[in-house]
Amino acid sequence: MIRFRNVQVAGETEAGTRPILTVPDLALSEDRISVIGANGSGKSTLLKLINGLALPDTGTVDVDGLDTTAQGAAVRRRVAFVFTDPLSQLVMPTPLEDVELSLRRQYRNRTERRSAALDLLRDFGLEPLAGQSIYQLSGGERQLAALASVLAVNPSVLVLDEPSTLLDLRNTMLLRRRLASLPQQLITATHDLDLAQDSVRTLVVDNGQVVYDGEPAAAVSFYRELAAHVAGSS
Amino acid sequence: MRGHAHLISAYVAGSSWLHRTPLLLKFLLLAGTGVVVLALPGLLPRALVLAAVVVIHLAARLPAVRLLQPIRSMWLFLLVVLAYRWWADSAAGAAGVVAGLLACIYAANLLTATTEVQRLLDGLVAAVTPLRRFGADPERFALTIGLMLRSIPFLLGSLHDVRDAARARGLGASPRAVVQPVLIGAVAYARQTGDALAARGLGEKAAD
Ligand SMILES: Nc1ncnc2c1ncn2[C@@H]1O[C@H](COP(=O)(O)OP(=O)(O)OP(=O)(O)O)[C@@H](O)[C@H]1O
Ligand SMILES: [Mg+2]
Repeated sequence: MIRFRNVQVAGETEAGTRPILTVPDLALSEDRISVIGANGSGKSTLLKLINGLALPDTGTVDVDGLDTTAQGAAVRRRVAFVFTDPLSQLVMPTPLEDVELSLRRQYRNRTERRSAALDLLRDFGLEPLAGQSIYQLSGGERQLAALASVLAVNPSVLVLDEPSTLLDLRNTMLLRRRLASLPQQLITATHDLDLAQDSVRTLVVDNGQVVYDGEPAAAVSFYRELAAHVAGSS
Repeated sequence: MRGHAHLISAYVAGSSWLHRTPLLLKFLLLAGTGVVVLALPGLLPRALVLAAVVVIHLAARLPAVRLLQPIRSMWLFLLVVLAYRWWADSAAGAAGVVAGLLACIYAANLLTATTEVQRLLDGLVAAVTPLRRFGADPERFALTIGLMLRSIPFLLGSLHDVRDAARARGLGASPRAVVQPVLIGAVAYARQTGDALAARGLGEKAAD
């Protein structure tokens, strides 16, 4: 269970500080939640608050009772983050080494670690590419490799920031199917309104506030109207 | 700042005698090279060390182009060092400094080219474990060193990119046009790596 209380995040600009995100009270317990909203509305900021990649300037965010500011390391062991660009996520030269890096804490023994890593990669259909340079993988393969590395640390919550933005239609569908089968709680920010509806609850963020919170189909039509309204009035 | 594929995949898969040499010996080789280079100034001893490292490189059947890569990415830096030492000291002294630098880079290269990252990290963990009772966290230490080693080829690569970019804009080899973007790139890289690890809860204190 993720809980926001009186949260404010401010950004520095030349003109002084301005609020980037304000969330008075929010509890996230559903196992599939999506976040939609315009560019710059504050989606990424909202997601980063959940695992302490960003910290609130006022208020608190906690995960299972652990405060992201005071107990950041413990929170990050529970909440893993998937970036839009898998190249930002993969730190080792090959998928195999990257997954092994994630598994270091669980497996001290190198042989066991390697076989666990290969098992996981096989699960993702990536075993044949285990030793390839990450630069030689396709965007879809890379995103799957990044997902495998992140899942290897056994998180209970997965936060995904536009995971399908760099993918084509086929890879997006593969990713959606893969995500649907995960046991973790998933919180996904996306501009892909189909992906957004792979959820039970959708938040619409606009101008630093959660302006709609409810059933996905209704949230998507709310967002469409909002966008049409903004486009019409400018 | 992307696309240093050939530089980043530092490990060269293989089963040469050097691949099979115990990690500790390769470490000692690297440390020994550093010590000799520092302890014996002058062209002759350093040239000998350089020659020895190059012979080992070739004897282990590592690709010879790997010897050129550091020169290609650092020639400007090496040239500046060479010119400065020549002016401040002598031609032989300058050549000695460059030979020493190259010897150290090649020796580090021998280690990373023939040792998988995981093995390297395990070796570091084993080395630091006895210090645990003094508060050391071996996994964290290993991760830091491992990532530092990873970042070297990245930084060499970015030096290369930035120089090309500066040249494309007609900025020539002005040190400022090169140094500043490389520093910014290095900070961005460190930050990105930090975020990538935090995204998986890695590299943090064991207890919190
Ligand atoms: N570190 C920062 N300092 C100052 N302003 C920031 C910072 N990070 C983000 N912002 C600003 O906060 C606002 C929200 O950014 P955020 O990245 O959360 O938006 P987003 O909804 O994820 O947008 P997108 O759909 O483009 O990814 C933007 O106006 C952005 O410029
Ligand atoms: Mg964003």
